[in-house]
Amino acid sequence: MDFLKSIAIAASGLRAQAGRMRIISENIANADSTAPRPGSDPYRRKVPTFRSEVDRTLEARVVTLGRITTDQSEFRLKHEPGHPSADTNGNVKYPNVNALVEMTDLREAQRSYEANVNVITASRRMLQRTIEILKS
Amino acid sequence: MTTPSAVANAYANLARLGDAAALTKGPGETSTGPSFGTLLKDTVASLSKTSRNTDAQAVAMANGKANIIDVVTAVAESEVAIDTLVSVRDRVIQSYEEIMKMPI
Repeated sequence: MDFLKSIAIAASGLRAQAGRMRIISENIANADSTAPRPGSDPYRRKVPTFRSEVDRTLEARVVTLGRITTDQSEFRLKHEPGHPSADTNGNVKYPNVNALVEMTDLREAQRSYEANVNVITASRRMLQRTIEILKS
Repeated sequence: MTTPSAVANAYANLARLGDAAALTKGPGETSTGPSFGTLLKDTVASLSKTSRNTDAQAVAMANGKANIIDVVTAVAESEVAIDTLVSVRDRVIQSYEEIMKMPI
């Protein structure tokens, strides 16, 4: 039935946004994770991608979390000679995570999640209103 | 998920069944369409399948294995199926009572 299908499609959106939140939290949590040894790279920011996929049982296109890539931009350099992972010049590589960017992504994921929840709520209400016709 | 549409079909069939049996067939003739009992049995069987899925999801959730999103969609699905079946049943019983109350 169409309403149940739209609920299932919106649920795929919820699942995808939940996966995105997981990656954002990983980025924020590791914002200050430096390299284990001098010379190696620190944590590299992860970027989620979304993919549209045909669901055979639903006969509709649902969204899934695609390949998780890494952000290839430059690491932040800080001059901290006393740090255990500082190089010979006293510079420490910090992850290429920008808290502001992550917060913006987080808000976007939150809004998208809410939009999908609203689709589910509306579909359910429409279904229940239809069933109520039988009761009156 | 076919339960609500099955129930709707059952309801439509029932309405047609009543019309056909009452108006076109003479006394003593039996209707060839599926009886309401059969329809109800089929619908309840389909409903119990949906409920089992919901139960499995709920148990998996309690064990910390299921995704809350899957649980919510499964519960919504069986809720709709149960609501539809209950409404149809109430409606049919109500009609039956109306008929029983008819003064002869």
